[in-house]
Amino acid sequence: MLSIKNLTASINGTPVLKGIDLDIKAGEIHAIMGPNGSGKSTLGKVLAGHPAYEVTGGEVLFEGRDLFRMAADERARAGLFMGFQHPIEVPGVSNASFLRLAYNKKAEAEGRDELDPLEFDDFIHEKIKLVAMREEFLDRSLNEGFSGGEKKRNEILQMAVLEPKLAILDELDSGLDIDALRVLGDAVNRLQRADRALLIITHFPRILETIQPDYVHVLSGGRILKSAGKELALELEERGYDWVLEASAAGGAR
Amino acid sequence: MTTMAAGSNLLVDLLSGPRPAEWDSLREAAELRLAGRDLPTTQEEAWKYTDLKALAAISFGPAPQATVDISAYLLPEMVGTRQVFVNGHHAPHASCASAVPAGVRFLPLSTASEACHALGTVKNGVTPELFEDLNSARFEDGAVILVPKNLKVALPLHLLFLTKADAPIAVFPRVLVVLEPGAELELVEEHHGEGTYLSCPVVEVRVGEGAILRHERVQREAPEAFHIGTLKAEVARHAQYHSRTLSFGARFSRQHPWVRLAEGAEGTLDGLALLDGQQVADTHSFMHHAEPNALSHQLHKCIVDGKARAIFNGQVRVAPGAQGTDAKQQSRNLLLSETARVDTKPQLEIYADDVKCSHGAAVGQLDPEELFYLESRGLNADDARNLLTYGFAADVLQRVPVASVRRALRQLVMARTQAASLGVLA
Repeated sequence: MLSIKNLTASINGTPVLKGIDLDIKAGEIHAIMGPNGSGKSTLGKVLAGHPAYEVTGGEVLFEGRDLFRMAADERARAGLFMGFQHPIEVPGVSNASFLRLAYNKKAEAEGRDELDPLEFDDFIHEKIKLVAMREEFLDRSLNEGFSGGEKKRNEILQMAVLEPKLAILDELDSGLDIDALRVLGDAVNRLQRADRALLIITHFPRILETIQPDYVHVLSGGRILKSAGKELALELEERGYDWVLEASAAGGAR
Repeated sequence: MTTMAAGSNLLVDLLSGPRPAEWDSLREAAELRLAGRDLPTTQEEAWKYTDLKALAAISFGPAPQATVDISAYLLPEMVGTRQVFVNGHHAPHASCASAVPAGVRFLPLSTASEACHALGTVKNGVTPELFEDLNSARFEDGAVILVPKNLKVALPLHLLFLTKADAPIAVFPRVLVVLEPGAELELVEEHHGEGTYLSCPVVEVRVGEGAILRHERVQREAPEAFHIGTLKAEVARHAQYHSRTLSFGARFSRQHPWVRLAEGAEGTLDGLALLDGQQVADTHSFMHHAEPNALSHQLHKCIVDGKARAIFNGQVRVAPGAQGTDAKQQSRNLLLSETARVDTKPQLEIYADDVKCSHGAAVGQLDPEELFYLESRGLNADDARNLLTYGFAADVLQRVPVASVRRALRQLVMARTQAASLGVLA
C-alpha cells in the first residue's frame, strides 16, 4: 500500500528526515515511535503533503502511485488520511456541513453518489456513535472551542466518514484521558480492515495497548533505528528510548 | 496643502432647500454649527484615510417621493412589524405594524412628534460630527420606537430604508429608539438602494436601566452610493446594548458608532465589512466606559479584495473612576489581493487603574496551516480558500438572532466568497 524508499525531507533548509525506508501492506498496523524531535511528526506531514516541508530525495509510492506527484487534496481523495496532532479550528463553518463537504468530495472522486443533507444526517448519526460524540458537536463550528480531547474525537469521526485506505494518526493520545483513549482506540480498530492500513505515530506506548501494532519502528534523528514486532513497544515502555539510541550509535541496534 | 479643493458646494447645496417641518430648535442648532463649514479633508486625523473628493464632485438634489417593490425585502418574522421608508419619506402602504404588541410605539417620526421630545438629546460628548448635523438639519422622516417598562417584545422589529435615485439625491433617515427600564427588543435596520446617492442616517438609542436591545444593522447600499452613518447609544445601569454592523454595499461607507456605558452595563459593537473593487469602508467607533464595572466587546472583521480599502479606528475610553471596566476589542482583517489595503488602529484612553482592557489587530492572508488542514480532507486549494474566507465572515453572523436575516446574510457572504458551490449551508 505504501512504500517509502530512502526518503529525505527538510524544513527551511534544515534536514529532518535523513533516509527513511518503510513498507506498509494492506491489513497491517505500524507504529512509529521515538523521542521528541525525532522527525516522526514530520514523516506524517510529509506523507500528507504539508507545504512547509521540502522533499529532498527518495520515493514514496501509495497504491503504486508516486505520492509526490499528488497535491495534498488529491492524496486525501485517493484514500490517505492524517489525523492531526493539533487539529485546526475553523470558525463559521459547521462541523456537520464540513464533514458532508469532505465526504462528497471523496464520493465524487470515486464516482459514488453524493449525499444530500438529509441522507448525510442519517449517515453521520451512525458515525458519531462509533466515537461516542455528542450530537451538539455537529452543529458547532469545526473544532472551534473544542477541548483537546474533543478535537481528537472529531479527527477520528472524520476518519470514520472518509474511510481512508491508509490512516496516519499523529499523537492521537495527546490530550486524551484514559477512557476517551479507549473509545477512540476501539473506533480505530473497528475501522481497520484487511484492505486498509494504519500508521500510528506516538511518543508513548500507552495507545498501543488498545491499537495493537504488527510492527513497531523507532525513529530518531530522522532515521529508523530499529524495527520489530509489538513486543518492542513493551520494551520501550520499560526501558525508554536511550538504549535504542545507544545501541544504534554503537552500530548494533539493527 | 489640502488634498481636497476647498469650497466644495456639497454642504451649501444640501442646506439651500427649505427646512423640513418641525424640530426647529434641533435643526437651527445644527445649521448654526454647519454655517461656514466644509467637508473634512484628509488633513484631519479622523479623515486621514478617507478622501471625500468623489463625494464632493457630485451634486446631490433633494429626494423625491418614490415607490419601490418591497417584496424582495420582506422577512417572515417581521411581516407585521415593519416600517418602510423610501428616499427618506415614510411609505405607509409598504409598512405594516399590525403585529406590534400593544404599548409599543413604532411609528414614523412625522406622525409622532409629541412622542419624541428626546430626539437629538443623546449626546456623544463633544460637538456632533458634521454628517450628523447635516442629518439633523435636513431629515424628512424616520422612525421612533418606544418600548414601555418591563415589556419584552417577542417579535423583532424591521426598519427598511430604501433609496431609489434616478439622479443623484441625498437622504437623511432618522431613528430614535427608547427602551424603558427592563424592556427588551430586537431591531433589524436595513439600508438598500439603487442609483447614485448619499445616505446619511442617524440612529439615537436609549437603553433604560436593565433593558436589553439587540440591534442588527445591514448596509447593502447600491454600488455607486455613499453611506455615512451615525449611531449613538446611551446604555443605562445594568442595561445591555448589542449591535452588529454588516457592511456590504456602497462605493464609500463610513460608520460612527458611539456607545456610552453606565455602571454595570454591557455593550457590543461588532462589525463585518466585505469589500471588493474600489470600495472603501471606514469605521470610527467610540466605546465610552463612563462608569464602573461595565463590560464591552468589539469584534470587527474585514475581508478586502481587489483595490478596496478598509479603515478601522476603535477608540475605547475608560473614564476616571470607571473601575472594574472590562473592555475587549479585536480587529481582524483578511486581505485577498495584493492591492487591497487595511488601516487599523486601536485607540485606548484609560484613566482608571483597576481595569481589564485587551485589544488586538491582525491583518493578513489565510493561514497556510488552516488551508492545509482542509486540503488534507480532500478539498482542493480553491475550495479550501473559499471555505476559510466564508468562515471568517460567517463567524460574525453566527449570533444574528433573527433566522431569516442570518440565512440571507450567510447566502450573501457565500456568494461574495465564491463558497456557494460548496453547499455548506444546510
